[in-house]
Amino acid sequence: MIHFDNVTKVYANQNRPALDHVSVDVDKGEFVFLVGPSGSGKSTFLRLVLKEERPDSGAIHVAGKDLARLSNFKIPHLRRRIGCVFQDFRLLPNKNVYENVAFALEVIGKPRRFIRKVVPEVVELVGLEGKAHRMPDELSGGEQQRVAMARAFVNRPMILLADEPTGNIDPATSIGIMKVLDRINRTGTTVVMATHDAAIVDSMRKRVVELEDGKIVRDQSRGVYGQAY
Amino acid sequence: MRANFIFSEVWIGLRRNLTMTIAVIVTVAIGMALLGVGLMINSQISTMKDFWSDKVEISVFLCKKNDPFPQCKGSGGVNEPERAALRAQIEAMPQVQKVDFEDAATAYANYREQFKNDTVMLSVVQPGDMPESFRVKLKDPDSYAAVIEALKGAPGVSNVVNQKEILEKFFGLLEKLRWAALVVAIILVFAATLLIGNTVRLSAYNRRRETGIMRLVGASNLYIQLPFVMEGVIAGLIGGVVAAVLLIVSKVFLFDGVQLYLANNSPLTWETVASVISLTMIFGVLICVLASFVTLRRYLRV
Repeated sequence: MIHFDNVTKVYANQNRPALDHVSVDVDKGEFVFLVGPSGSGKSTFLRLVLKEERPDSGAIHVAGKDLARLSNFKIPHLRRRIGCVFQDFRLLPNKNVYENVAFALEVIGKPRRFIRKVVPEVVELVGLEGKAHRMPDELSGGEQQRVAMARAFVNRPMILLADEPTGNIDPATSIGIMKVLDRINRTGTTVVMATHDAAIVDSMRKRVVELEDGKIVRDQSRGVYGQAY
Repeated sequence: MRANFIFSEVWIGLRRNLTMTIAVIVTVAIGMALLGVGLMINSQISTMKDFWSDKVEISVFLCKKNDPFPQCKGSGGVNEPERAALRAQIEAMPQVQKVDFEDAATAYANYREQFKNDTVMLSVVQPGDMPESFRVKLKDPDSYAAVIEALKGAPGVSNVVNQKEILEKFFGLLEKLRWAALVVAIILVFAATLLIGNTVRLSAYNRRRETGIMRLVGASNLYIQLPFVMEGVIAGLIGGVVAAVLLIVSKVFLFDGVQLYLANNSPLTWETVASVISLTMIFGVLICVLASFVTLRRYLRV
């Protein structure tokens, strides 16, 4: 599903590469934690998958497509197959829960009938039934992140990328978020989650890929976070 | 593509940037109006030139009694032999196509016709003030120099006037006006381009959250950019409509007004005005689209 082959990325004005000859394979339906300290290259990895950045060397395949050969014109189509969740939720403050989720479908031109059918289903899947008409500022952080997950998942992506989705949320609420991610993973969606949260990684017992200074230092199935940072 | 989504986005954008939108509309309107005026003067010049080119004559005015012209001093007016001699001399010239004699009464009638809308000009001139003249039509209006040279100072001639020179002074003035209008129009078009760029930039900044999410969920570039470009286009179109009104007003009050003072007027046709309006409108919208696209390329990374 995601295939990195000897990928190196150096940002302009920096000597040290953000990713240094990274090779990794993520299969369809896998759940992968991407761990490592700040600046270890986790976010760069996710940005490369979305083709928001281009690697300096190496090849990246996502959903069977060679990103180097993917024309700019086709990037939106790649992104329609990838859902994204962030630490800061990125909801539209002037739209309610339903409208926030529907927005993701409106802007890719889905018919209204389809939107009316699938949005309530996804809002229910993330556990927000009955709150569809709340505004984001009327929701807790955990609930806002559920909205963001609903928006990421509503188009049934093949891959869900989560960049520290529990970073702004207390540990008790984080468990609920992880349950939603697990539920999404069980529908067959590949999930890649970058995180600092040792407790979550340890409790989930999923594959762990650890990055340090842009290099993969550990790739372990059913792993734990490792030594505390 | 969902049109109502795009249009609601456009409407929100225009309303949020109302002051900038108004600035764009005003600049585009004035810029396009001046461009249009320039084009209209241009076509006015060419219709007038067409109209006059086969009518320009050399007027050979003859001495009256007590004429103040030095050549006429003490002659007591032109007499019959002088008239006949002049006519023969003119007709013998190879450049001359046709000669007509205009007596004082005809001259006065023509004068009344020419200034029929101007009571002051009519009241100050009496039939006795009008000189007799030969109206000389040349085969080639440009070969006037030798003719004028030969006739100036001939006995009985008070003055020789080349209408072409008078017209050329008038055309020269019109041409200066045209250049002035076009130069100001170019400056305003430049200002409008920058303003549109700024408006689109503000708009893109205001909506960076939305566009960020649109990018993330895979909205196509067209879908993301179209609302911004449409904002520019709509502002440009409104500006174009205002410019069209200004052009129609200037045609009715300025161009037609000037024509009242010219004999045998050759007014601008409405077809010319319509084509000038559509040309400026297309040009205005094109500028808006280009400015929007160039700005988006810089401020809305897709």
